[in-house]
Amino acid sequence: MRLEPRALLGWTIIAVAGAVAAAAPWIATHDPTQTGVMFLRGPSAVHLLGTDELGRDIFSRLVFGARTSLAIGFGASIVATVLGVPIGLMAGYVGGRLDLALVQLIDLFIALPSLVLALIITAMVGPSMQNLVLILGFVMWPTVARLVRGQALAVRTSVFVEAAVAVGGTSTWIIQRHIWPNIRRVVAAQFAITVAFAIFTSASLSFLGLGIPPPTPDWGGMVRGGFSYLALNPVMSLAPGAAVAASVLGFYLVGSSGEER
Amino acid sequence: MLTVVVRRLLLAVPNVILITVLLFFAVSGLLGSPAALMLGEDANRETIAELNASMGFDRPLIVQYLDWMGRALQGDFGRSYTTQERVADAILPRVLPTLELAFLAILVATLGATVLNSLAVGRRVVQPVIQILSVLGITMPNFMIGISLIFLFSVELGWLPSTGWSPWSDGVIAHFVHILMPVLTLSAFYFGSFSLVYRAEYEAVRRRLYVQVARAKGLSATGVSFKHVLPNSILPVITYIGISLGHLAGGAVVTESVFSVPGLGSLFVNAILGRDFPVMLAVSMFIIVGVVIANLLADLVYTLVNPQIRLD
Repeated sequence: MRLEPRALLGWTIIAVAGAVAAAAPWIATHDPTQTGVMFLRGPSAVHLLGTDELGRDIFSRLVFGARTSLAIGFGASIVATVLGVPIGLMAGYVGGRLDLALVQLIDLFIALPSLVLALIITAMVGPSMQNLVLILGFVMWPTVARLVRGQALAVRTSVFVEAAVAVGGTSTWIIQRHIWPNIRRVVAAQFAITVAFAIFTSASLSFLGLGIPPPTPDWGGMVRGGFSYLALNPVMSLAPGAAVAASVLGFYLVGSSGEER
Repeated sequence: MLTVVVRRLLLAVPNVILITVLLFFAVSGLLGSPAALMLGEDANRETIAELNASMGFDRPLIVQYLDWMGRALQGDFGRSYTTQERVADAILPRVLPTLELAFLAILVATLGATVLNSLAVGRRVVQPVIQILSVLGITMPNFMIGISLIFLFSVELGWLPSTGWSPWSDGVIAHFVHILMPVLTLSAFYFGSFSLVYRAEYEAVRRRLYVQVARAKGLSATGVSFKHVLPNSILPVITYIGISLGHLAGGAVVTESVFSVPGLGSLFVNAILGRDFPVMLAVSMFIIVGVVIANLLADLVYTLVNPQIRLD
C-alpha cells in the first residue's frame, strides 16, 4: 500500500504520540506531579523544558499528558462510533418514517454547539476522565450517524443490494455482507477525525477550566496554567499547546486522507 | 417567498421549544438544589428547604420551566447568584461584541479563503502554502492560535495589546487594534474549511466544458478561478456557514476567554465556573436559540441565492 505524504505525516505523528504515551515513565525525566522550589525556570539540562509555577518539570508533564489526551480522544471516538454507526445504519437502511425521525434528531443535535453543550454537561456532572469520554462521545455521535446514514443510503440504492433483496436476503445479512464492507473505510476515516476533534474539544474544555482535575498532567490544563506566565516562561503554555495542535493534526490528516480514497 | 419564510419559522419553533425544555431539565435536574449550592455545605437542611421554597425550587420541574419561560419571554431571566444583578442587564451589553466578533471572523474567512485560493490556483509555491495554512486553521485549537498570536505580536514584537477590549466610543483605531487578534483567531477554522470547500468546487468546475472553452480561448487559470469558480463556490460556502455555526459558537467562547472580550462567551464561562445558575441557563439559551435561528437564516439566504432549491 502506498501512502501519500499527508497520510504518512499523520501516521508518523500518531506513532510518536502513541510511543510517548506508552513509554511515558521511561521517557519522563521527573515525576510529573512532584513540586519543587525552582519555579518558572527556562529550559536547562536538568529540566529540558523548564519548570512551571509550582516547580514541576514541564517536559515530564508533557510526556504524561499524552496519555490523558490519547485516552480521552480514543475513548470518546469509540463512544461516538458505537452510538452513531447503528443509528446511522438504521436511518439509512430502514428508511421511511424511522429515517425522518432520526434525521430530525441528528440535525437538531448537529445544529447545537458541541463545545457549549459539553461545557454545560461537564459543569453539571464534574470533569473526570470517564465523564469526559462519555460527554464528548455524546456530543459527537450525530456527525458519525449522519455520515453513516448518507453512505448506507447510497449503497442501499445500488443494484447489487436490489439483487440481494430479490434473492430473499435478510436485512441483517445484507447489512453485514453488502452495506458494511462498503462503508467501513469511511467509518474508519471518520473514527480518526472524531479522535482529532475529541482531543481538540477536551483540550478546549481544559483550557476553560473544566478539564481533568489537577494534579493529573493534561495539555489543555497546562496551557491554561501557563497563559498567565506567557511573558515569563512562554514554553509553559506554548509546548503543551503545540502538542495538542500536533496530535489533532495527526489524526485529522490520517482521517481526511482515508476519506478521499 | 414570504410563505416559505413563515413556514420555516414555524417549523423552527418546536425545535427551539424542545431544546429549551431539554436544557432546562438537564441543568436543573443535574444541578440538584440551587439553595444548597448558594448556602454552601455547612447549611442545615431546614434552611435549604426554606430557601428552596421561597424561590420556588420545590415545585415540579415542568411548572418551574413554564414559569421561567413565561418570565423569559417578558425579558426577565432572574438575578445572578453571584452579583445579584438582573441577568438581562448582564447579558444585553455583551451581545454586540460577540456578534461583531463572529460577523467579522466569517467575513475575513470568506474573503481570505476565496481571494487567496483564487490567486493561488496553479502557482507552485503559493498553493501548497495556502493548503498547509488551511489544514492548520482547521486543526489548531483556538486557544493555541490565540496564545501564539499574543506571544508573537504582544510579548515579542509589542505591536498589539495582548488582551482587553476597546469600545467604538474610544475611537475606531483603538477598537480595531483590540479586535484584530480575536477576529484572526476565530476566523482561522473558517478560513481552512472555506478553502477546502473552494478547492472542491474548483476541481468540479475546472472540468466543465465551458471552462475548458474559456481556457482554450486564452483565459488564465486565475481568470477562471475568479470568473467561474468564485460565483460557483458561493453556494457551498453559505451551506457550510449554516452547518458550522455551532462550531463558531464554541470557538467564540474560547476566543473571548483568551482575549478577555466582554462578550456572551466569556460571561458564559464565568457563569459556569462560578456555578451561577440563572446566568448560565439564560446565556446557553441565548447561544443555542441564536445558533438555530442563524441556521434558519443561512437556509433562507441559500434559497434566495439559488432559486433551484425550494424549501417547501
